[in-house]
Amino acid sequence: MREYKIVVLGSGGVGKSALTVQFVQGIFVEKYDPTIEDSYRKQVEVDGQQCMLEILDTAGTEQFTAMRDLYMKNGQGFVLVYSITAQSTFNDLQDLREQILRVKDKDDVPMVLVGNKCDLEAERVVGKQQGANLANHFNCVFMETSAKAKISVNEVFYDLVRQINKKSPKEEKKKSNIRKPICQLL
Amino acid sequence: MSIYVVPCCDSESERGVRAQLSALTSRMTRHGPCGEYAASQPTWRLWGEERVDGAIYTVYLKKVRYHRPTRSASSESDDEISHLEWETVRVRFVKAGTVERLVEALATDDGELESTYVNVFLATYRSFAECSQVLDLLLRRYEELAMDDVLPAATDTSHQHRKTLVACLHVWLDTYPEDFRQPPHHPALQQLLAFTQLHLPGSELHSKALQKLALFSAERNGVAGGAAGGAGGGAGTCLAAGMRVPAHHTSAYRLPHVPHRHFAEQLTRMDMELFKRLVPHQCLGAVWSRRDKDRSHDAATVLATVNQFNAVSFRVISTVLVEPNLRPVDRSDILASWLDIARELRVLKNFSSLKAIISGLQSNPVYRLRKTWAMLSKEKAELFEELARIFSEDNNRWAQRELLMREGTAKFADTVGENDRQLQKLLHERGSPGVSNGTIPYLGTFLTDLTMIDTAIPDTVADGLINFDKRRKEFEVLAQIKLLQGAANAYHLPTDPMFDRWFDSVIVLDDREAYQLSCQIEPPTNPPKERRQKKIIDSNNHGHRKNDSIASTSSSNSSQFYCETDGAGNAWKRDSLERRISPTRLSHGSSSSSIPSLDVSLSSANSGQKPANGKIPGMSPAYPNARTGPDFYIIRVTYESDCVETEGVVLYKSIMLSNNERTPQVIRNAMLKLNLDGDPDGYTLAQVLPDKEMVLPANANVYYAVNTAYNLNFILRPRRNQQDEAIVNGKAKNKRT
Ligand SMILES: Nc1nc2c(ncn2[C@@H]2O[C@H](COP(=O)(O)OP(=O)(O)O)[C@@H](O)[C@H]2O)c(=O)[nH]1
Ligand SMILES: [Mg+2]
Repeated sequence: MREYKIVVLGSGGVGKSALTVQFVQGIFVEKYDPTIEDSYRKQVEVDGQQCMLEILDTAGTEQFTAMRDLYMKNGQGFVLVYSITAQSTFNDLQDLREQILRVKDKDDVPMVLVGNKCDLEAERVVGKQQGANLANHFNCVFMETSAKAKISVNEVFYDLVRQINKKSPKEEKKKSNIRKPICQLL
Repeated sequence: MSIYVVPCCDSESERGVRAQLSALTSRMTRHGPCGEYAASQPTWRLWGEERVDGAIYTVYLKKVRYHRPTRSASSESDDEISHLEWETVRVRFVKAGTVERLVEALATDDGELESTYVNVFLATYRSFAECSQVLDLLLRRYEELAMDDVLPAATDTSHQHRKTLVACLHVWLDTYPEDFRQPPHHPALQQLLAFTQLHLPGSELHSKALQKLALFSAERNGVAGGAAGGAGGGAGTCLAAGMRVPAHHTSAYRLPHVPHRHFAEQLTRMDMELFKRLVPHQCLGAVWSRRDKDRSHDAATVLATVNQFNAVSFRVISTVLVEPNLRPVDRSDILASWLDIARELRVLKNFSSLKAIISGLQSNPVYRLRKTWAMLSKEKAELFEELARIFSEDNNRWAQRELLMREGTAKFADTVGENDRQLQKLLHERGSPGVSNGTIPYLGTFLTDLTMIDTAIPDTVADGLINFDKRRKEFEVLAQIKLLQGAANAYHLPTDPMFDRWFDSVIVLDDREAYQLSCQIEPPTNPPKERRQKKIIDSNNHGHRKNDSIASTSSSNSSQFYCETDGAGNAWKRDSLERRISPTRLSHGSSSSSIPSLDVSLSSANSGQKPANGKIPGMSPAYPNARTGPDFYIIRVTYESDCVETEGVVLYKSIMLSNNERTPQVIRNAMLKLNLDGDPDGYTLAQVLPDKEMVLPANANVYYAVNTAYNLNFILRPRRNQQDEAIVNGKAKNKRT
C-alpha cells in the first residue's frame, strides 16, 4: 500500500489539530490517544485504491521554528490552513508557502489551501473570493472547511492524495512495514 | 466494606504523599490509571458507570487479598498465608463532575487521601477552576465536616476526612507554591492563614503558610530572592557592563576547533536550568497552545525552553553559513564539529539540544549545501544518520518515545539500535561512565501530545460536567515531565561564563537571510520563476493586505533572540516590539531585512582581529538572477555609550544591509536592534575606520557608501546639539546610564 505523508501547516489556532483529529479519528474522537504509534495514521480508499495517510501535525511545536524545514522536507503534500475569522492567519500563508517551495526546491508542490471554521459565518473576515484568489496565485485547490461541523474535512486529504498521485504516479512501493501499535488498549 | 481500595497512603505525613507521587510516576506508562489497571491487572474488571447528582464515576470491581481484620497487624508469622482472604470490592474513579464534586473527591468515601487523584487534580485544576475557588471549596468542606463533629457516629470518618483535607493543603503548598503567590496581596494565602488561625492554630500547616507569606513579601520587597526561582532570577548570562571581557578570550570558542565535550556540557547546563524551572502544567494544551497575547506569561517557562532550542539551532545554521568564502572542506569541518558536539549530547542524554543541532543541520539553508556535505567523512555522515534517526517522525516518533522510556531515568545512555554503528562504537569506547547523568527531553513531543489531547478530548461531558478523565490523560504526560525533571538533578556540570558569552555573540540569521547566504555559497540548481510572478499578481489583487511579510514576524518569528537573564517576559516584549515595528520597516521596502534578528556580537574595537561575523560580500555573480536575493552585507553596529571605551570592548549588534537601504532606514534598523526608541533623525551613523570615523550622509545609499576595505563596524550616536558641539569624537553625552 502506498504511504502518503501529509503536513498540516498554518498559524496557531486556525484548527490544524482539530482537522487532523477529525480526519484521523472521525466520530471516534473519545477513544483518541495521541501517544500511540498510529494515532496520526489513517487508511482510506481514494479512487478505488487503498492508501495509508500519515499526518504530520505541527501542533504545539509551531514555535520550534528550526524544525519546520524538516516537516516540509518529509511532507509530500501540504494543507495550508487559515481561519476565515482571522485575517492575520490568512496573511501568514504566503511565507509558509514560499518556505515550502524553497525547501522542496520546486515550484509545484501538492497543496490545498484551506479556509477553516466556515461554520462561523457570522465572524467571517476573510471572504471566500479572497481565499479563491490566493489559491489561484498558489496554483492550488481551495476549500472551506469546518473541523467542528465536519464539513469537507476528508475531501481536503483525498484531494491531496490525488494530486500526489498525479505528480508522481510511479512511486509505488515504499516499504509498508507498518509496525503494530505496541501498547494496544483493550 | 472496610478495605482500602485505593493505593493507600499515610495521610499523616506529606512525605508519604510525595513518596506516592514518585512511586506513581515511575510506574506511569502510556495508559491512564484506569486503563492501566484494567489492562494489566487481571483482578480488575470494569463494572460500569455510576451517576450521582453532579458526578459520574467509572466503577471497577477488584479482587483483593487482605489480612483478616481480626488479626493484629504485627502477626507476620509463618501462618500468615493461611489468613489471606479474597474479597471483591467496588472501586470508583471520578470520570466527570462539578468543581464541588471534584473537590469532595479529594478524599474517598472513607475520608482517606486518594493520592493519585490528588496529584492529578492539583496538576490540572487550573484548566477548569481558579485557585481561589478551589481553596474556598476545600476550606468550606473542612468546616462542614467540623460541624458534623457533634454527631458521635460520624466522628471517625469525619476526623479522617479533615486530616485528608489538611494533607491536600500541604501537598498543594509544597508542590505548587506559585499558585499562592498572587502579588501583591496574596489573597488565597491570606484566606488560608485566616482559616488555619481559626481551625488549626499552631499546626504545621499554619506555620507553613506563614513561611510562604514571609517569603513572598520578602521577594516583593526585593529583599530575599533566590529561593523561588521566579522568572528573571537566573544566573547572569547577559553582558552586564561589569562582566565584559576582552574579545580574544572568546576566540578560543571558534568552530570548528572547539572542545566538543565541553560545549555539550555547557549546552546541557543551559538546558538543565531551564528544564528544572519548567512548570509542567504550563505545557497543558489549554495553556500552551491556546494561550493568547494576554495570557502569554502563563506559559513563560515553556517559551523559555522553546527559545533556547531555537537559539541552538540558529547557532548551528549561522556558524555554518556566516563565512561565505570557506572551501567546502573547511565548511564541512564545521558540520563535523557540530556532529561531535551532538554525539556528546547523546552521551549526556540531552535530547533537547541534540535535536536542536540535528534540526539546524537539517534546516534547508544548511542541508542543501551538497558540496559541503559531500566532504564529510563516512563516519561523520553515518553518525548524522544515526542521530537523525532518533528523531524520526515515523510511527508517531516511536524511536524517540521508546528511547526516552528506556533511558529517561537510567543513569547513563546505553541504548543503541543494531544499525547504529557509530553510536555503538561510542558507547563501547566510553564504557560505563563514572558519573551518572540526568535526562533532558525534547519538549516538543510532550507539547504535541498535550495539544492533541486537548484538541481531541472535550473539556466537559453531558450536563456540562468537567471531564476529569481528560485531566487524568493529561496528567500521564505531566507526570513523565515531572519525573524527568527530578532525574535532571543528576547532572553536575560546571558553569563556564565564557561559553555563555560565546553563545550570545553568535549572529542570528532569520529564514531569508540564511537562505540568501546559502544560495551565495551554492547557487540553486532550479531557479524559481513562478515565485516572483506570484508576488506581483498578489500585490495587485490583494492591495488591502498589508504585506505578506508581516506574517513572517508572527508565524515564523525565527529570529527571536533569547537571553536567559532577560526572563521570558522580556522575550515576549521583544517579540511584540518586533511585531509593532516591522510594518513600518516593511513600508520602506526592504524585503531582505524584513525580519529583524536580535543578536549580540562581541569583539574588540581596536584589536584589529578579524571578527567571526565579518563582512559578507554580496552574492556571487555566478547566479545573476538577482531576485533570489539582493546583494547585502552584514554590518555591526554599536551604540555609543560610556562603557564603550572603558574596557576596550564594544558590544555590537549585527544587522543586514541590503543594496537599496538609505541612511534613515539603516539607522532605524540599528535602533530596533539596540532597543532604542525615538526618531531616527536624532541619530547619526558612522563607520569605524582604523584612523577615523566616516559619518554617513543623511540620505546616502549606505550599501554603496560604506568602505568595504575594512571591517563593517559602525557607531550609532545621538545627533549632537549645538551646546555639545565642542565635545569631540565619541565623547558626546548620552542619556543612557
Ligand atoms: N467553530 C470552529 N472552531 C474550530 C474549528 N476548528 C478548530 N476550532 C477551534 O479553534 C481552536 C483552535 O483549534 P486547534 O485545532 O487547536 O488549532 P491549531 O492551533 O491550528 O492546531 C480550538 O478552540 C478549536 O476548538 C472549526 O472548524 N470551527
Ligand atoms: Mg493545535
